Amino acid sequence: MAGLELLSDQGYRLDGRKPSELRKVQARMGVFAQADGSAYIEQGNTKALAVVYGPHEVRGSRSKTLHDRAVINCQYSMATFSTAERKRRPHGDRKSSEMSLHLKQTFEAAVLTQLYPRSQIDIYVKILQSDGGNYSACVNAATLAVIDAGIPMRDYVCACSAGFVEDTPLADLCHAEESGGGTSLALALLPRSGQIALLQMDARLHQDHLDPLIEAAMTACKGLSDVLDSVVRQHLQEVSVLTRD
Amino acid sequence: MRETPLSNCERQFLLKGIEEKKRLDGRQTYDYRNIKIAFGTDYGCCIVDLGKTRVLAQVSCELVAPKENRPTEGILFLSLELSPMASPSFEPGRQSELLVKLNRLLERCLRNSKCIDTESLCVVSGEKVWQVRVDVHVLNHDGNLMDAASIAAIAGLSHFRRPDVGIQGDQVTVYSPEERDPVPLSIYHMPICVSFSFYLQGTYLLVDPCEREERVMDGLLVIAMNKHREICSIQSSGGIMLLKEQVLRCSKIASVKVSEITDLISKALENDRRARKEGGRCGFAESMPVERITVLKSDGAQIEMSDAEVGSEAVTMATESQSAEPLSEVGRVPSPVVRAPGAVQVGECLQNAWGLGEEEDEDDEEEEERLEMQEDNQRPMKSKSEVVVISDSEEEEVVILHPKKTQVKDSKPETKPEAPSKKKKKKKQPLH
Amino acid sequence: MKSRLLGSTMEVDGQSTLSLREFGCEQNLLSRPDGSASFVQGDTSVLAGVYGPAEVKVSKEIYDRATLEVVIQPKVGLAGVKERAREQCVRETCEAALLSTLHPRSSLSLVLQVVHDDGSLLSCSLNAACMALMDAGLPMGCLFCGVTCAIDPDGLIITDPTAQQEKNSRAVMTFAIDSAQRRVMMSSTKGSFSVNELQQCIAVSQRASEKIFQFYRDSVRRRYSKTL
Repeated sequence: MAGLELLSDQGYRLDGRKPSELRKVQARMGVFAQADGSAYIEQGNTKALAVVYGPHEVRGSRSKTLHDRAVINCQYSMATFSTAERKRRPHGDRKSSEMSLHLKQTFEAAVLTQLYPRSQIDIYVKILQSDGGNYSACVNAATLAVIDAGIPMRDYVCACSAGFVEDTPLADLCHAEESGGGTSLALALLPRSGQIALLQMDARLHQDHLDPLIEAAMTACKGLSDVLDSVVRQHLQEVSVLTRD
Repeated sequence: MRETPLSNCERQFLLKGIEEKKRLDGRQTYDYRNIKIAFGTDYGCCIVDLGKTRVLAQVSCELVAPKENRPTEGILFLSLELSPMASPSFEPGRQSELLVKLNRLLERCLRNSKCIDTESLCVVSGEKVWQVRVDVHVLNHDGNLMDAASIAAIAGLSHFRRPDVGIQGDQVTVYSPEERDPVPLSIYHMPICVSFSFYLQGTYLLVDPCEREERVMDGLLVIAMNKHREICSIQSSGGIMLLKEQVLRCSKIASVKVSEITDLISKALENDRRARKEGGRCGFAESMPVERITVLKSDGAQIEMSDAEVGSEAVTMATESQSAEPLSEVGRVPSPVVRAPGAVQVGECLQNAWGLGEEEDEDDEEEEERLEMQEDNQRPMKSKSEVVVISDSEEEEVVILHPKKTQVKDSKPETKPEAPSKKKKKKKQPLH
Repeated sequence: MKSRLLGSTMEVDGQSTLSLREFGCEQNLLSRPDGSASFVQGDTSVLAGVYGPAEVKVSKEIYDRATLEVVIQPKVGLAGVKERAREQCVRETCEAALLSTLHPRSSLSLVLQVVHDDGSLLSCSLNAACMALMDAGLPMGCLFCGVTCAIDPDGLIITDPTAQQEKNSRAVMTFAIDSAQRRVMMSSTKGSFSVNELQQCIAVSQRASEKIFQFYRDSVRRRYSKTL
């Protein structure tokens, strides 16, 4: 795999993590005042910003309106300076429109859209720095932003990537591990019910290894959900202290 | 045009059926529709029928400069097109969500799983590599486009042969198929997508949903696998909530289906290879279902066989009957007229050649005569065409030609001057 | 059931070969379109699908007749100028044949997919289009067919040329011919030729068109042989 040893003989990964160890997660909610909800998250060196507007009246073409639930509109973009090579990222290329589509699917499954018929919820996500696990950072940031906007959800949606090297599943891949061309799986989970909102996998993996890989990704997602939960609680505490008097 | 919406009754009917494990077309839950794979005369051209869904794939290649970060690797480019023929709701050139989804899935299924050896496509490192391009056209949309597209793409890639190249110093020579046999691509494995649709919050699952079933489903799970039971790609879509157990169960079903389909593709490839080797005819014209009532095919191969005789007879027939005469006349007459060519001259030239009053009188009789003649000709034709048997031998056809020919010959002395005049008359109308 | 094709040679300034390649057709082969047909001439093959008459976009609405849209999809890559030019030829021919005044304020769309190009592509497209329109049951004033003629450097006329013959020829002409009076409905030419040659080619095409119309008739008769 590109001559890079992803897992040392001692069982440590490139950046010194254990196979099932997540990267450090730091998050903040309510970073912007003018948006209905916003959040910023760092997962290792991957940094993402999410902004939520809505629910509001459907804008643009009225034909999109759904009579029984809200429309979710997602936009994913990457900053020009987000990767090592600085290239222009045209809006709406295949990869980013696919990512927008996936985010939309994930949140359609998680948000209680039927509470807001004939309305629209906008979720804008931007990757500020990319170091692997873009999708999961986006989902986690967007979850926090949706909570910040006060939109009811079934549960937190937590996403995490996972890879598979030498019969060992690795949780939360970084860029070096992802670009090696090995298996990578992205999974969005509703942790309480154990339901998978989105599952996506690339590159070859033997069928028998699918079970441990999904299991590893689900454990990682549950770990993430605890972190997100504590972030939300802390944020609420701070806000309530400020508004108490 | 917008898609006709599905009525509530239809929706409920379909869902009720699915609950009772009944499908519209009588299939079982895990059944695939019939798969038919046909190859064209070109290398890398393939039509896949999955039930009524029809997809055309064409593989082509060209020499391009490689990507900067991968100087020694060829490029695999995939492009799926939703032709407006497939469904009235597809607009040409629009990037719909479905199109993006299918394109990315196909890309991930084939390119990211490294199904072809891209390094063998390198000609001169850093300068010239082959770009293999797969164009997939959806011709008829009756559900499960992804599976059909992936089968067509991989079958096309396995069928494709690229031209051989030779390198002498800095010179790169691309040999034509006549000079050197074209080279097949090296295929590592054949990833094939299997789609599962979920209904009623994931309680029911169907393999290979048709279009109606796709419209009432909650969500779709696509698993791409090869026959070595390696998963090449997984993608869930639509707002479904899956459980881990469901995913694992689907992967088991997929592995069975994929091995069946792979066998089918290899068999189709083998058949085509044999047909080509034996020098037989191949291509879509040969795979037309001739037994169908909607199909009519004129058998040209046999005509070529008996060319020598029939050809020449037919020749005389054609020359001596109407068509040739006016032409030779036209050829003979107008040398003075043609000297000043122009659009108007076209008509005048004809008039000059044909506007002979004397002939006009004879014309009517002659026409009658010839009408009779044509009727005679048509009679055998009619009797023949009423028979729906497909296997008329060509002798019969020859028989049809003979009476005509002889008749023509009999009436030759009179026909010669007149036939052209009729022809001319016909032509005059449009021209004036 | 086969219809014998014109396998004939003809004397024109010496001699020339006139023959149509074997052709075949399948109607109603796609389930979604209202009418569909695939037409094969030798190795050249075109698939056609017709939708309509149906609701029309307001911007394209014509108050006294149907709007006809023709799309030609090439086999590789995106449609370019060549395809646009062919679309135009096919559209004008179809517009002339169709009785579009019977369906005002509605849309007809004809989609042609090139399946294999081995010469005479435009004539094959026209034939496929006519068969598909027939299958869709749209009212037409007459049928039409396409015939391609090529003139090779020696001045020989070749009907229904293959790609190789087209490449070697001096001029290539395609005519759309109607079934009622064998008039030329559309012509598309390339290369240089004399008025004489044009005349000859038209005459030849008219002759060849009879064979094609006979084929149309046979195939329709076969198709409805069970119901009649």
